[in-house]
Amino acid sequence: MTAGAAGFWTQAIAIAKRDLMVETRGGEVLGVVLPFAAVAVFVVPLATDALATRLDQLAYPVFWLVGLLFSMQVALRQTGTESLTQRRTLALLGMDPAARFTGRSLAAAALTTAVLIVIAPLTILFYDPDEIPAVGPSLLAIIGFALGLSMLSTLAGDVTVGLRTRSSLAPLIVAPVSVPLLIGASQTLEALIRDRSTMAPALLLTVTVLSLAVTGVLTAPALEEATT
Amino acid sequence: MTKRMVLPVLSAAAIAYALYLALVSSPDVFQGDFVRIMYVHVPSSWLAFLAFGVTALGSALWLWRRTIVWDRIAESSAEIGVVFTALSILTGAIWGEPVWGTYWDWGDARMASTALMLFVYLGYLALRRATPDPVSRAKRSSILGLIAVVQVPLVYFSVTFWRTLHQGQTVRPDGIQMDGSMVAALLGGLAAFTLLYLALMTERVRLARIEDENALSDSVAAGAGITAPDLDGIT
Repeated sequence: MTAGAAGFWTQAIAIAKRDLMVETRGGEVLGVVLPFAAVAVFVVPLATDALATRLDQLAYPVFWLVGLLFSMQVALRQTGTESLTQRRTLALLGMDPAARFTGRSLAAAALTTAVLIVIAPLTILFYDPDEIPAVGPSLLAIIGFALGLSMLSTLAGDVTVGLRTRSSLAPLIVAPVSVPLLIGASQTLEALIRDRSTMAPALLLTVTVLSLAVTGVLTAPALEEATT
Repeated sequence: MTKRMVLPVLSAAAIAYALYLALVSSPDVFQGDFVRIMYVHVPSSWLAFLAFGVTALGSALWLWRRTIVWDRIAESSAEIGVVFTALSILTGAIWGEPVWGTYWDWGDARMASTALMLFVYLGYLALRRATPDPVSRAKRSSILGLIAVVQVPLVYFSVTFWRTLHQGQTVRPDGIQMDGSMVAALLGGLAAFTLLYLALMTERVRLARIEDENALSDSVAAGAGITAPDLDGIT
């Protein structure tokens, strides 16, 4: 079977499987990024006056801040970066650039969700917030956030691929653009905690994720041309 | 006067006249003379939107036509847009202190989204600086230029989407909610800043062309005797 004959989703899933297999072998996310994120969650209370600071109020901001920073690390991880030869080989095999973008984003989203799911109970454990939102809807918000951030980071990673300053430049591109995702996801959790309607923040999150998906798919051919 | 000096001289004269209009316009009933900051703040914001719109247009036209001048226009406009955005944030903060009692309010959607827009375009300029090859730079930044422009409607409509500290739109389809002399000063400021934008654009695009020509002549002068450093670092 050639890559050119395969359908869009077959190609996307093949790319996602490849990225997850590389992660299984390299263990960069589970062995390096995840423990580092756990340390970050643990370090914040040490940097505050434990007697004067209400840590329970910091729980969710710390979760989203650590989540945002380390999710970018996941999506821009070294072992997940394709070399020029790999990108050219995929292009020559007839790999659809949009399928490649989709596959890479899906793999990064799965890993990001895993990181967020691990740091969520750690945050609750260390910060002891008064109220905890319902697990099911919270998980949906986390998955939406992870998906959007992964697509955005994949886009930024592709735009900066091969540049010496990539490791600092890509987060500079991702961080400001990710704010609608952050607002959508964090406000959804906040609405769940306060028993308010989640309609507006969930809609913002959904629209942002869909916009990123459309942008990523539409710009994928031009990006491939720019970086191969 | 040389042809090159026409736009700078015109914009300087327009700025002087806009300043006069701003100083003689009626003070606001509630804000008094502080409202005069608006005649710099609002045109700065509008010109920032225009500049980033031109960046997106230049990016799209570069992707379509592959003519280097569109990339130069996109770059130049983004740089000028960043300056106007910074000016808008600065004047907004100065205006906010006496009127709202604070330089900065995190709960205000317009302030936060404008700051984000600034960071997005600083990222765009950083990407350009990091890519030495002109063609690769144009390809990469044109895509980011197209993505980044979504910030513009987000900032513009933020006061409609989120009812926060910032006032709503003054110029609406059903009319302008202001006194006549204030409208004149605002439009005067807008015209002057537009001329300034055109003058800056003309000079910056010319500078970009000179930069490209110098980069080419350097490589010609160096010849095969010197190996260019691998700044791209593509593996």
